[in-house]
Amino acid sequence: MNDIVIDIEQVSKRYALSHQHRPDSLKSWLRSMANRLARNDDQPKDEEFWALNDISLQIRQGECLALIGKNGSGKSTLLKILSRIIPPTRGQIRVRGRIASLLEVGTGFHPELTGRENVFLNGAMLGCPERLIRQRFDAIADFSGVERFLDTPVKHYSSGMYVRLAYAVAAHVNADILVIDEVLAVGDAEFQKKCMEHLQTHLRTGITVIMVSHNLHAIRTIASNIAWIQGGQLFESGTVGSDILQRFEQT
Amino acid sequence: MTPIDTTSAVIPHSWRTIDGHAPTLPAYCRELYQYREVAYVLIRRDLIVRFRQTYFGLAWLLFKPLMLMLAMSFAFGFLAGFEKNHAAPYPLIIFCGVIPWYFFSNAVPDSMNSLLGHIHIIQKTYFPRAILPIAAVAVDAIEFGVAWLLFALGCLWFGYLPGWQIALFPLFFAQLIALCVVIGLLLSVVNVQFRDIGNLIPFLLTIGFFVTPAGYTLTRIPQHWQTLYALNPLVGIIEGMRWSLLNGMDGFPLIAVASSLTITVVMGIIAVRHFLATDADLVDLA
Repeated sequence: MNDIVIDIEQVSKRYALSHQHRPDSLKSWLRSMANRLARNDDQPKDEEFWALNDISLQIRQGECLALIGKNGSGKSTLLKILSRIIPPTRGQIRVRGRIASLLEVGTGFHPELTGRENVFLNGAMLGCPERLIRQRFDAIADFSGVERFLDTPVKHYSSGMYVRLAYAVAAHVNADILVIDEVLAVGDAEFQKKCMEHLQTHLRTGITVIMVSHNLHAIRTIASNIAWIQGGQLFESGTVGSDILQRFEQT
Repeated sequence: MTPIDTTSAVIPHSWRTIDGHAPTLPAYCRELYQYREVAYVLIRRDLIVRFRQTYFGLAWLLFKPLMLMLAMSFAFGFLAGFEKNHAAPYPLIIFCGVIPWYFFSNAVPDSMNSLLGHIHIIQKTYFPRAILPIAAVAVDAIEFGVAWLLFALGCLWFGYLPGWQIALFPLFFAQLIALCVVIGLLLSVVNVQFRDIGNLIPFLLTIGFFVTPAGYTLTRIPQHWQTLYALNPLVGIIEGMRWSLLNGMDGFPLIAVASSLTITVVMGIIAVRHFLATDADLVDLA
């Protein structure tokens, strides 16, 4: 099929759980190197932890994929790899189009900068030319609902304000793919509704969305497909119409 | 009220691959160019912050180098008695040493701390991370560039006219900036992993001032020590700047310039390779 925009191929992510504390100073690093050179094997071996294990998924244009799963199942790790924040240990992801990511609260905002300055910084980071941001600045401010605080450093913002502004920027940069990690849960009901409506309109214009959410109601409203991740593996996937959500609810 | 983008998404045909491999240099440079606006925003922000709420505002750009030049001329020229036997006015000689040194000693720690200082951004959004150390150097470089206006004023004051050699000045200027970027790329990554160097570098810079011909000239160093002394890459740059701006002052410092160029290039290769290899893993390392 040629309408696939994201092709996740056997992606795995390994973390080392060191029981000894990690060398974070030159001294401890030198010591561990010296130990290794002296074949001093009394150091406990690092335990491996696979946050993601052999995940394969394909996402088509216009799809809204919701990742579900318990805390620590690897959903956010997958989004981080997709957003290029961390690299996969194995496997690869192929992407067509520009991704705009909203990961966690305060996504990529600089606390010392004002809201206005952060809009430009964030826009540039999402690959949007400044001239375009300038054009849409009023729309962004209006959508965020924090106009009054645009000249206040964002460190004074509440987490709700943070998210509203961050979402407003991401929504206006013309990305082809939106990656959203649970952030919308921070906003109030009114703002959540606004975002949902906004996402729905965008989905109709051909944008692709990947989201992590624990809000099953939100998922039922906007998602078209579900991927259930458990223990770093793809447990089940299907359309929102299938009974995956019901079974997930029962667990 | 919901804003709708007039351009509906047209999916590009080109695929981009995200995997664990280090990017190639050309690919990384292309990406740096794509994200150049991030650098512009960061540079503008730093400049604004630096002069916001200052009474003298931009006058600081000339005031600081003026004070440095006067204080150093007093200390080295008058107190230490180095002022004699020079073809050019001593304050101008000092300027060519102290101002590059001042830039270097600011740019190195600034770029070293750039990744760590923006770690909360790096952890939440992607852009080529080399932008941060480069932007940090750029901010100091702008201040450094403006300071040369004072040199021009100094030339007028002393009625001194630089010779044809001035044509080569931009090369030394560019090399100094390149050196700072190279050191910044290297140290900023190391600083994320080993915070020790955050303490070490300011200390080394304090020592560095005395083994750099900032307040004196290369001729003060005994002949048989000069080759060893030239291992400091700043020696070639500063003496080269003096040669280019002060009518070929003490003759062209060939050994120092050659050594400085070699060290800059070798460090450049190491720094770029190391940065490319580590860039993707930065968040996991922090």
